[in-house]
Amino acid sequence: MVEVFWFSEQPYGHVQEEDLAPYESGRMHFPNTNFDPEKAHVLYNNYHNQYALADEVGFDGIMSNEHHSAYWCMKPSVNVDAAVIAKVTKRAKIAMLGNVIAVNDPVKMAEEIAMLDCISGGRIISGFVRGTAVETLHAGISPTENRDRFEEAHDLIVKCWTDPGPFRWEGRYFPHRMVNPWVRPMQKPHPSVWFPGTGSPESVIWAAKHQYPYMNLGSLLDLTKQLKGIYFETAQEVGFEPGPEHFGYLMRCLVADTDEKAQEIGRTFLWTEAHRNRGPVEFNDPPGYQSREALRIKMSRPLIGTGTMGKRMSYEDLQEAHNIVVGSPETVIEKLRYVKKDLDPGYILIYGNEGNMAHEDVMRSIELLGTKVIPALKDD
Amino acid sequence: MTMTTGGALSQVSVGDAQVEMFSGGSGPPLLFLHGAGGNSGWQGYHEELSKSYTVYVPSQAGFNGTERPDWLYTINDLAHFNLELVQALGLDQYILMGSSMGGWVAAEMAAMGAPGIKSLVLVDAAGIKPEQGEIAEIFMVSSDTRLKQRFYDPTQVPNYDQLTKDMTPDEQVIDHGNREMASRLCWKPYLYNPSLPHYLRKVSIPTLIVWGRQDAIIPLECGTLYEKSISNSNLKVIDNCGHSPAVERPQEFLNAVNDFLSN
Repeated sequence: MVEVFWFSEQPYGHVQEEDLAPYESGRMHFPNTNFDPEKAHVLYNNYHNQYALADEVGFDGIMSNEHHSAYWCMKPSVNVDAAVIAKVTKRAKIAMLGNVIAVNDPVKMAEEIAMLDCISGGRIISGFVRGTAVETLHAGISPTENRDRFEEAHDLIVKCWTDPGPFRWEGRYFPHRMVNPWVRPMQKPHPSVWFPGTGSPESVIWAAKHQYPYMNLGSLLDLTKQLKGIYFETAQEVGFEPGPEHFGYLMRCLVADTDEKAQEIGRTFLWTEAHRNRGPVEFNDPPGYQSREALRIKMSRPLIGTGTMGKRMSYEDLQEAHNIVVGSPETVIEKLRYVKKDLDPGYILIYGNEGNMAHEDVMRSIELLGTKVIPALKDD
Repeated sequence: MTMTTGGALSQVSVGDAQVEMFSGGSGPPLLFLHGAGGNSGWQGYHEELSKSYTVYVPSQAGFNGTERPDWLYTINDLAHFNLELVQALGLDQYILMGSSMGGWVAAEMAAMGAPGIKSLVLVDAAGIKPEQGEIAEIFMVSSDTRLKQRFYDPTQVPNYDQLTKDMTPDEQVIDHGNREMASRLCWKPYLYNPSLPHYLRKVSIPTLIVWGRQDAIIPLECGTLYEKSISNSNLKVIDNCGHSPAVERPQEFLNAVNDFLSN
């Protein structure tokens, strides 16, 4: 049965197109003097109230993430956000998608995630991400190191969770002569690990090789099906039979009492879209961030792209493609049923608000999703 | 290795790696080390120098499409690799010249006390942290910005059009790989080694430091710091010139080098 997760990027919705336009990029060049902590205080608390409501009305889980130097995501630490979720919810799973482990000390990551698992009573799903290249640049780390650091950090975190301490780790990037984290995860052998991606087949292959569920972050359906196919092919090579529980799909979705109202609110899903990852390629895909193997795979599979495969799509086009789903509960149920049938995901991740959508509208959307849409999807 | 004039291309084995090498001319050997942008091949100034010297222009390990040895992560590693290259070439006595990142590698090689370096020429060399200014960002900027940073006055650059023309797909792959390798070697500390000035105190090799006065990437201040660090050195500043004197003001560059080497 499909599980439905709530997700908010926690945007700083006060930013407008004209604020961003003068700068070379929408991230590292956009000055943080545009950030007002007083306004952020209000926003953070609204987002936390949304989490609490999502838990109450029946979402199976809440997903969170982190980004850096991003006006559209006020979460520089997914672990901090997960701690909040653990305290404002009672039953929902907490999917962190995830920690940018290549740029943090893996032992501390292992400890923090284990702590969250204990606090939440074993509700943690621990996603690991390579992050966008900006995350690595922001951390002052060479993008050429991201992949190797990610691999080493992953192995060390899993070892922290599964091997008794103290032990020694002679890694290239994270050498520790004494590893003995006191806090260990509640779930055994460790919390489930998810791995996300947009268009990179290398990500899919990595997830499948580790038998970790792969979460596609809102690529177009055809591309997503192709990536899912790569996951299944790889799984068979590795020797396991994947099911829906190995695959999830993130989509933008908003429900209102009427189609008209939902259509109006949903336009905000395109808030500052032209700016969020705008910038020189040296920011978004600097040399060395992708392996030469990844470039080779991409070249050998001509259909593979990223997200919308470089297409600029209108609000209407994105709805037609089921990339954005907005409407009354009846409309949204019908569209999500289509996606569910087309992709057969084990998890639908609802990207449920954006920009300066009114808090009340988002709360109503959560309520309608929880009371009408999710039960209908579960009844199928 | 067979010597021919005009920059013949050959392969030199260094350990398990193959080094792509342009070479030409006759006379005392001169090893030229390219900068972070990679080896742009046999240039006019190489041809001029080859009238008096046997000039070797290797694509340093990992650059220009060559495989990076899996142990080579740092400028220090590259300096050690290049010393093995010198052995493979059989150079007993040689002039070592490096530009920008290549100047940093050359300075590290000299600081290692490697035998045979008869003279050292550092051209707008990376490697030392400025005390006042900053080394400009070259990785997290667009290609247009990189080009603008490089020259003081593009109108005086011979064959400037050649530098700005669209790259072929193959050239793009090589350029991408060069920037990847440079990022790996130079990211942190950014284009310097905090210990290098201390290492250089024991270097007594006759050294010429050449700098474009208006270098917008590595400030002239770094040239003065090199001059302070190497006892037997002299700084020659070229006016109205940016980061690449050999390309932007080739005659002034060659005059400075020839004056130094002929003495």
